[in-house]
Amino acid sequence: MHAVLDEVDLELQSGASAAIVGRSGSGKSTLLNLLSGIDRPDGGTIELDGREIGQLREPARTVLRRESIGFVYQFFNLIPTLSVEENVLLALELKGMRGAQARHRTRGLLDRVGLGSRAASTVDMLSGGEQQRVAIARALVHEPRLVLADEPTGNLDEATAREIVPLLTELVREREAMLIVVTHDRALAAAADRVWELRDGRLHEPQGSSEGA
Amino acid sequence: MSRTLWAASARHLLRRPAQLILALIGLALGVATITAVDIATASANRAFELSLDAVSGPATNEITAGPAGLDEQLYISIALREPELAPVPLLEGYVTIGDEAFQLVGVDPLAAANASAERAADGPQAIGTLQAAGAPRAQQPAPGTEALGGLDELRRWLTEPGAAIMAASSARRLGLTVGSRFEIAAGGRPFTAVLIAEDASGLPGREGLILTDIAQAQEWLGARGRLSSIELRAPRDAAGLAALTELRAQLPHGVELQPVGRRSRTNLDMTRAFATNLHAMSLLALLVGLFLIYGAVSFAVLQRRRTFAVLRALGATRLEIVRLVMLESLLLGVAGALLGLGAGVALGRVLIALVSRTINDLYFVVAVNTVALPHGALATAVGAGVVTALLAAVLPAWEAARIEPQLGLKRSTLEVRAAAIARALVLASVVFALGSGAIVLMTSRSLLAGFVALFLLLLAVAGVTPALLGAVAQAGARVCRRSPVGRLALGGVASSLSRTGVAVASLGLAIAAMIGVSVMVGSFRDSLHEWLIRTMRADLYVTVPGPGFGRPERRIEPRVLAALTSVPGIAHFTATRNAIVDSPRGPISIAAVSFTPQMQTGIELVGERDRAAREAWEAFAHGAVFMAEPLAWRLDMHRGSSLTLETASGARRFEVAGLYREYGNGRGGVLMDRDVYRHWWGDEGVSSVSLSLAQGVEPADVVAALRRAAAGHQAIFIGSNADILALSMSIFDRTFVITRVLYWLAAGVAAIGLTSSLLAWELERARELGVLRSLGLTPGGAAALIEAQTIFMGLVAFVAAVPAGLLAAELLVTVINRRAFGWLIDFHLQGAQLANALWLAVAAAAAAGVYPAWRSARASIAAHLREE
Repeated sequence: MHAVLDEVDLELQSGASAAIVGRSGSGKSTLLNLLSGIDRPDGGTIELDGREIGQLREPARTVLRRESIGFVYQFFNLIPTLSVEENVLLALELKGMRGAQARHRTRGLLDRVGLGSRAASTVDMLSGGEQQRVAIARALVHEPRLVLADEPTGNLDEATAREIVPLLTELVREREAMLIVVTHDRALAAAADRVWELRDGRLHEPQGSSEGA
Repeated sequence: MSRTLWAASARHLLRRPAQLILALIGLALGVATITAVDIATASANRAFELSLDAVSGPATNEITAGPAGLDEQLYISIALREPELAPVPLLEGYVTIGDEAFQLVGVDPLAAANASAERAADGPQAIGTLQAAGAPRAQQPAPGTEALGGLDELRRWLTEPGAAIMAASSARRLGLTVGSRFEIAAGGRPFTAVLIAEDASGLPGREGLILTDIAQAQEWLGARGRLSSIELRAPRDAAGLAALTELRAQLPHGVELQPVGRRSRTNLDMTRAFATNLHAMSLLALLVGLFLIYGAVSFAVLQRRRTFAVLRALGATRLEIVRLVMLESLLLGVAGALLGLGAGVALGRVLIALVSRTINDLYFVVAVNTVALPHGALATAVGAGVVTALLAAVLPAWEAARIEPQLGLKRSTLEVRAAAIARALVLASVVFALGSGAIVLMTSRSLLAGFVALFLLLLAVAGVTPALLGAVAQAGARVCRRSPVGRLALGGVASSLSRTGVAVASLGLAIAAMIGVSVMVGSFRDSLHEWLIRTMRADLYVTVPGPGFGRPERRIEPRVLAALTSVPGIAHFTATRNAIVDSPRGPISIAAVSFTPQMQTGIELVGERDRAAREAWEAFAHGAVFMAEPLAWRLDMHRGSSLTLETASGARRFEVAGLYREYGNGRGGVLMDRDVYRHWWGDEGVSSVSLSLAQGVEPADVVAALRRAAAGHQAIFIGSNADILALSMSIFDRTFVITRVLYWLAAGVAAIGLTSSLLAWELERARELGVLRSLGLTPGGAAALIEAQTIFMGLVAFVAAVPAGLLAAELLVTVINRRAFGWLIDFHLQGAQLANALWLAVAAAAAAGVYPAWRSARASIAAHLREE
C-alpha cells in the first residue's frame, strides 16, 4: 500500500485561509477528500469545530458536508439543468432551508458576486468566470465553517482569476469561515494567510516563507 | 426532498426527449399488451356470461339432459307438481343469418307469464323469460314484455309462422325492419322467419340472440317435443331447498338438476389454459419492457454521474439520490402505464376479434360485441408499469448511490465494472438455467411452474448476452487489425458494455422468445398436418354447416343421409355423431363413429403395439371408449381408467381402452362406437359422414351427385380431404395469429430499447465521433460505422438467442403445451424459422441504428469537439 499522506499536521482558526501547493500527484486532492469527509484517514484525527470527522459514519459525514463545508471546483461542477439561482439555492435546500428566506439569501449572495441580473439564466450561458462566481456563491450560501477549493482558478484566464481570487477570500473572511485552497496559482496562494507545500506526503513551509505548519 | 433537485432531475429527462419518449413507448407497449389481453379475455368471458344471463334470466336452477335434450312432457308434469318453482321451458340452438351466427332461444311466453305470476312478489309481471344482467333482477324489464308489449305482437307471435324477435341493433345491422322476412339456417336447413318486433332495450347480451316461440324453435332445430332445459326459480330458503331436493329425487335417469349456468360455465373453464398462454405472452412483452426501462434509467444515471457526485459532495445523502432515481422511474412508470392503458384499450379491440375467433373455432360459440374493461385492468396496468419501472430502476439507483462525492466515476472505471458485472451475469445465467431445469423436473402438471421455468430460461439468455457481446467484439477487433475503422467499431462495442450490453440482452431475449414460439407453433403445425394426413383416410366428407361443435341441431336429415350414402361410386362410408354429454368431471365431447376396418387405421393409439391395439379395438367394439390425449391429461386418466358419463338412463362407467392422438378438438374428447352411443343415449342423429370412393371414380362426379341428393332438403358442406386439410390448417393459423402479434410486439419493444440505448451511447461518444470526423471520416462513414455496430449487435443477439430459443421451444412443446392443453407434439425444426429470427434480429438492429446514424452524420464537428 502506498501512503499518500503521512503525519500531516494542519490547524486553522476561524476566518483564516490556507493555500496548499504541490506537484501533480503529491496528494493535494486526497487531503481535500480527507478534510471534507469524503475519504477516511488510515490514522490520525481530523477535527472540525471539535468534531472528529474521521470517526463519523458516512451519513453523518454527509450531514457534516451539507452543513459545514462548501466546495469550489476547478471545473465549476454546476448542475447544467438548473438556473444560476437554483444552483445556489440547492445548497440551502439540501440543508433544509426553503421558501422566501432561502431565496432572499440566495439573491443577496448572487448580487454580492455580481450575478444578480443573471439569476434566471441557465449556467451553460455563462462564461467561465461567471460560472465560478456561481460556484463560489453556492459554496458559501449555507454559511459553512470550512470552504475547500480545488484549483479554483485552474480553468480561468489570468484576468478572470485576478477577479475571482479576492472575491473568494473576501467572502470567506466576511463569514469568518476557514478557507483551504489547493492550487498551482502563485497569486492565489499568496492571497492566503498561510501557505504549505505538500511534498512526499508531508506539509512543508515553502522556501522563503516564514510561516509553517 | 429538495424541489430544486426535482427540477434538475425533470429537466435532465426533458432535455433528452427522444430517449424519454422511446422508454415511455417501450413501457407503454408492454403495459398495453397486458391490458389488451386482459380486455380481450375479459370481454369474451363477459359476453359468455351475458348470453348465459340473458337466456337464463332470474332462474336459480335448471334441469338438463344429454344431447337429445328433455322430453317436453317432463315440463308439463313439473309445472303441475311444482308450480312454486316457477318452471319455464327453453330450447336453445345456433342458427345463421347470412354469415352471422345467432343463438336461437325458443320460449313459451304463457309459461313465462305463469312463472312470473309465481314470482309476483319480486316485481312486475313478465311474459318473456329473458332478463338482462346488471340491474337488480326483480326490476329488470323482460325483453318479451317490452317487445310483445301490445296484443297485436302477442297475436303475431302465437299465430304467424316464423315469428321472431331480435335486438334492434342486430336488425339494423342486417338491414331488417319490423315485418321483414329473412332466411334463417338451422342445421343446414333454410327457414323463413319474420321479424315481428325489435328489442330496443340495448341491454348487453341481447345482441346475439333471436327469440321465437318454443314450438317454432322445435321445428327449426329439428327437436319436436324436446327441450334444452327447464329453468327453475327456487326460493332461497329451506322450503325452496326441500322442493329442489324432492324434485331431484323424482327426475328420471339421465336428467340432471343443477344450479343454473354451472354446465355452461364449465365450457368457460376450458379457455383458462388458452387465456394463461395469452397472459404469459403479454408478460413477455412487459419483461422486454423492463430491460428497456432499465436501459433508459441507467443511462440517465450514467449521464449524470458528475452531477450526482457534486450533489453528494454538497451533502445529498445516498438515500436522497436513490429516492431521486426511483421517483424518476416511478413517474416514468405511471406515465408509461397510463399511456399503455389507453393504447391497450385500442389494442384490446383488435385482440377481441382474434380471441373470440379462436374461442369460436376451438371452444364454444360466443358473440363478443361489447368491450369489457375489467375492474382490475386499471390497477393491473398501472401496477405492472410502476412495478416494472421500479424494478428496472433498482440497480441504476444503487449505482447512483454508490457514486462517490468527488468528480464522478471515470468512464473506464464504469466499463471495468460493467465487464465484471457481465462476468457475474454469466454465473447468474447458469443458475437461472439450472433453476429452470430443476423446476421442470420437480413439477409435473403445474402450468405456472412451466412458465416460471420458461422465463428463467429467457433471463439466462439475457444474462449471458453482455459477456458474449464483449468476447465476440474483442475477438472481432483483433481480427480487424488492418482496418482501423473496423477495429474502432468493434472495439467500441466491447469497451462500452455498460451501454450496449443491456440493449443487446433485451433484443436477444425477444429473439429467443420468437424462436421458441415459432418453433413450437411450427412443430405443432407439422404434427397437426401429419395427424390430419393419417386420420383422413376417406375421400370426401359431408357435414352440416353451422356454428358450435357437437350441437344437436347439426344433424344430417335421415332421408338426406340415405340419399347421400346411396350415391353410386361410394365404396364404403363412416357415419359420425358429435355430441357433448355431461359427466361428473364436466362436459365431455363424444365422437360416436361406426368404424369400418379401413378407417380404424386412421386412429393412432398412443404407445400401443399391434397386439395391444387389437385388444383395444376389441374392447372398443364391446362398449369401451378411446380417450383423446388432451382429455386424458386434463382428467389424469390413462388406459384402463373408467370414465363416468351421464347417459339417457343415468350415470354409466365406460372403460378407457386406449388413448389416441387428437389435435382436432382443443379440449379433447372420447371416441365411442356409434352403436354403443345409440344404445345409451337413444340419439340416432348423424353429424357427418366420410365417404371412401371406389377405385376409378372421379370425386367431382360424386360431389355433384351428393349435391343433387341433398338439394331442396338440407344445405350440406362437402369437402375433399384436401379441402378439410386446408380448412384445418387455416383454422390453426388463425389460432396462432394472436401469438404472433404478441411476439412481434415484444420484438418491437426490444428494437425500441436498442434505439434508445444507441441514442444514449451516441451522446456519450459524440466527442469521439467528432474527432473521427475531423480526421476525415465522412458523414456517410460515421453513419455506416454506427449501422455496422448495431447490425453486429443484432447478430450477437441472434447467436445468443439461438440455443436459448431452441431450449425454450423444447420447453414450450414438451412442458407448456402439455401442461396447458395435454397435447403431445413432435419437435420439428425448420431452417426458415431460424432464418426469420436472424432476419428479425438484423432488421430490428438496423432499424434501431437508423436514427442515431442519421444524427451522427448530421452533427456538427465543431460542436462535438467543443463539448467539455
